[in-house]
Amino acid sequence: MFIQLDHISHWYGKHQALRDVSLELESGRIGLLGPNGAGKSTLMKILLGLLPPSSGTGQVLGRDLLHAGIELRRLIGYMPEADALVSGLRGADYVALAGELYGMPRKQALRRAHEVLTYLDLGEARYRRLEEYSTGMKQRLKLAQALVHDPPALLLDEPTSGMDPAGREAMLDLLVRLGQDHGKAMLLSTHLLGDIERVCDAVVILHEGRVLCHGPVHELCRRRQNRYRLLVQEANEAFLDELRLEGVQVLNDNGRGELRVAVPPGWTTRAFFVLADHHSLVVRGLQVDDEDLEELFHRMVTENGTSANRPA
Amino acid sequence: MTAPLLHYRAWQGEFRRPICSVWPIARVALCVLLRRKLFWVLYSFAMLLFLMFFFGYYLFAWAESRPELAKIQIGKANPSQQQVQEFFRKTRGILNGGQDTFSVFFSYQGAMVIVTLALAGSTLVGGDFASRGLPFYLAKPISRWHYIGGKCLAVAVVVMLMTTVPALGLYGQHAFDDWEYAVNPDYFLDYGLSRSPAGLPLLLGVLGHGCIFAVVLSLLLVATASWMRRTIPLIMVWMSLFFFLRLVARLLVEGLKYDVRWRLLDLWNDMCLVGQWCLSIDHEGIRPLPQPEYWEAGVALAGVCIACLIYLSRRTRAVEVVR
Amino acid sequence: MPDLLESADASRRSGALTASPPIPRPASPILLCEHVSKWYGPVIGINQVSLELRPGITGLVGHNGSGKTTLLRLAAGQLRPDLGRVQIAGQDAWSPEAKRHLGYCPELDRFYEEMSGRRFVESMAQLCGYARREALRRAAVALERVGMIDRAHRPLAGYSKGMRQRIKLAQALLHDPALLLLDEPLSGIDPIGRRESVELFLELARQGKCLLISSHELEELEKLTDHVAIMAAGRVAAVGTLGQIRELLDDQPLSICIRCEQALTLATRLLEWDEVVGLDRYDHAVVVRARNPRRFFQRLGQLVIEEDLDIRHLETLDESTQDVLGYLLTKR
Repeated sequence: MFIQLDHISHWYGKHQALRDVSLELESGRIGLLGPNGAGKSTLMKILLGLLPPSSGTGQVLGRDLLHAGIELRRLIGYMPEADALVSGLRGADYVALAGELYGMPRKQALRRAHEVLTYLDLGEARYRRLEEYSTGMKQRLKLAQALVHDPPALLLDEPTSGMDPAGREAMLDLLVRLGQDHGKAMLLSTHLLGDIERVCDAVVILHEGRVLCHGPVHELCRRRQNRYRLLVQEANEAFLDELRLEGVQVLNDNGRGELRVAVPPGWTTRAFFVLADHHSLVVRGLQVDDEDLEELFHRMVTENGTSANRPA
Repeated sequence: MTAPLLHYRAWQGEFRRPICSVWPIARVALCVLLRRKLFWVLYSFAMLLFLMFFFGYYLFAWAESRPELAKIQIGKANPSQQQVQEFFRKTRGILNGGQDTFSVFFSYQGAMVIVTLALAGSTLVGGDFASRGLPFYLAKPISRWHYIGGKCLAVAVVVMLMTTVPALGLYGQHAFDDWEYAVNPDYFLDYGLSRSPAGLPLLLGVLGHGCIFAVVLSLLLVATASWMRRTIPLIMVWMSLFFFLRLVARLLVEGLKYDVRWRLLDLWNDMCLVGQWCLSIDHEGIRPLPQPEYWEAGVALAGVCIACLIYLSRRTRAVEVVR
Repeated sequence: MPDLLESADASRRSGALTASPPIPRPASPILLCEHVSKWYGPVIGINQVSLELRPGITGLVGHNGSGKTTLLRLAAGQLRPDLGRVQIAGQDAWSPEAKRHLGYCPELDRFYEEMSGRRFVESMAQLCGYARREALRRAAVALERVGMIDRAHRPLAGYSKGMRQRIKLAQALLHDPALLLLDEPLSGIDPIGRRESVELFLELARQGKCLLISSHELEELEKLTDHVAIMAAGRVAAVGTLGQIRELLDDQPLSICIRCEQALTLATRLLEWDEVVGLDRYDHAVVVRARNPRRFFQRLGQLVIEEDLDIRHLETLDESTQDVLGYLLTKR
């Protein structure tokens, strides 16, 4: 069992950051989603043993949250969102220092630092000063310092922020491999739903301090049998009118030919092609429109939002 | 991403206790400092001072034995032979390896240390707060006291390198002057404090004085640098802590004739007083008078240290490790 | 529970159909870059870039170091080009008159932290040259537009990243400029805020403004526009809609995934076509590599009608911005 939380609540003065959070999450790749101010950072601080919760108990990898703070931080490698750099050091020294702080002997830490930096593709850059690093390199460096002591679990805060698409691909690939091939448990907190869809099997959605839902993504997202996404180039009004005549509801049209429609029962996809042919149009895309992560998130938040509290 | 054959390897091993992380923190801070050329320039000045004390003893002893050297002219002033001889004798008395030597040495060297720490403060400590590196440390399996301890250790090492280590050199110079040490097993226990060769109490006094400097200065610097992270503001605050307060204390006690306890404002003086107590120097022999009691200075320093610790505790707690 | 899509579309259905980026272009471009080059000492920033932007949303994509930020700063009039010229609405971008038509929302996150958001936006409005009352009014309107009106009284130091982005956007919108330059406007914002921002950008584009959005988040960019400018090594590698750019990549045939019950029949028939270069068959799916996409899809439509195929899934696998970027920018 990776994380076990039992009625965790936390107050900052009068403001309640977490309300009665109870979770049981198996080891795996888990995404943590939520609007800003939902209590994600408070939850992460509690999981790292930095903050004792105001009430409730919990365990991470079998260690108690309230008493085993230092042990927790050894078991969980934390990759921060902000640049937590020690100025004046070189890449390899920085990661080696992280290793020593985790409790590794000095030579082991140095050796392991080089190994992890090679794995993360920071070849010659490891001998350069940290101030000279680009964003992509800094992100990989932060992951290196979290991985150096081979922790059983990782806590990642916006791992791909600021990275260009190629770097992002590579980072996500890496995370999937670390999770799948090397059995590391991961908790990924990010705003980029694409990252979560790519890396995580399960997701936890937080809003206003409460857990709205948690579980595997494919179980949470609704399947909608009668909805399709249609891509018809240069769709015109006549085509849409005829669709509507046939009983199809055009739910969304983004102006570039991408339509989201709800079809009546008994509809076959062939009919789309027939209609398109009538108007000399070409169907270039057709997909069943199940709920994706963004819609799930939006649905959860609007269903359960208590006040007109606008997140950032 | 990498060559497909170089897979990730797991690591097994024994983890050490959190207390073992204090030295790596200090070591890393020191390495960053020792790379700066400015530090070495200042250190060489400090070494010059040490060399002055080291060779000064022999120089003045030799000068005293040559009466013809007593005829000197400094500008328009033409001191008499008597005065010059008197000067040589007095200086040699100070440099003779007794308590006074070390007291004077520490106070001269201390000025150098204060300047160095002003410039080194931002490298050693302030950098972490400025570049937001503190979350890096605090997210590791250490408590914030280990972090503070590591930084204090780094500053203490700098202070010791500049004061105590040369002082021990001076002690060694005088202790092994008289080669009786090779013959007499009780050599170090027999002799007293007021002249060379030196004994164990003097050695402990030197170490004690050095430790006072190290502890108080390190706590003060770490606290100040965590408040003022950048170099120039740190230098300004640090200098005013010592020079400005010193002036105010002197003004109040000697100029305006306030109660002698106002001199406790002068932190530098307090440190020297406690050091002089370690060296068992007679309280009445200190200049300039009046001076507060030794225990009063000790209490003042303890108060300052506790205030620094409280400030540091709150400052490190306020850092958001997860934003 | 109201379906989100229906409520969002209701307003659009009542109006014109082609809501965002209107295709008919007015005569003169709002932003004109003509053979612009800029270098920093020995390092080349951008190398002979020509770009014309008209009302609508244009995405600016490219790897780090490809010159995107340099181009944006040149367009914002913060840098002078070493060669060529940059004009906004006919005026040289360096001149103050051009700045009236320009709203710049940079990536940098530096504010006067003790000020409240409202005070900051009001100061910016006054810097624009408005009298105090007008400045206050405009600030309030801008804050309303970005959705910060109820939270703007707090000091900036306590703001989350998303709120700071909104304040930056508000200050760019104060004087209702014709050209908006946005550098990574969606980074750090949560999915709900993102949706609101996307709505806002689409609204601004509908009003006839020209938006140039530089972003790494290609999925969000695809929701906003399909008109992109791809930059690499200081040059504009391609400008146009994704479809147009994709078609330029002749030597990369499209990969199309078709899932259908009668996969075998489909596969057999497809192999006979000239356009089909290669075909992979899976259980109930077929992945086709095809040239001449237009013709292919036409023929596919007719095939579906003739053979009464039940298509479950039809998707071009490598037409996304990500893939186009990958093809254009990888060395072969």
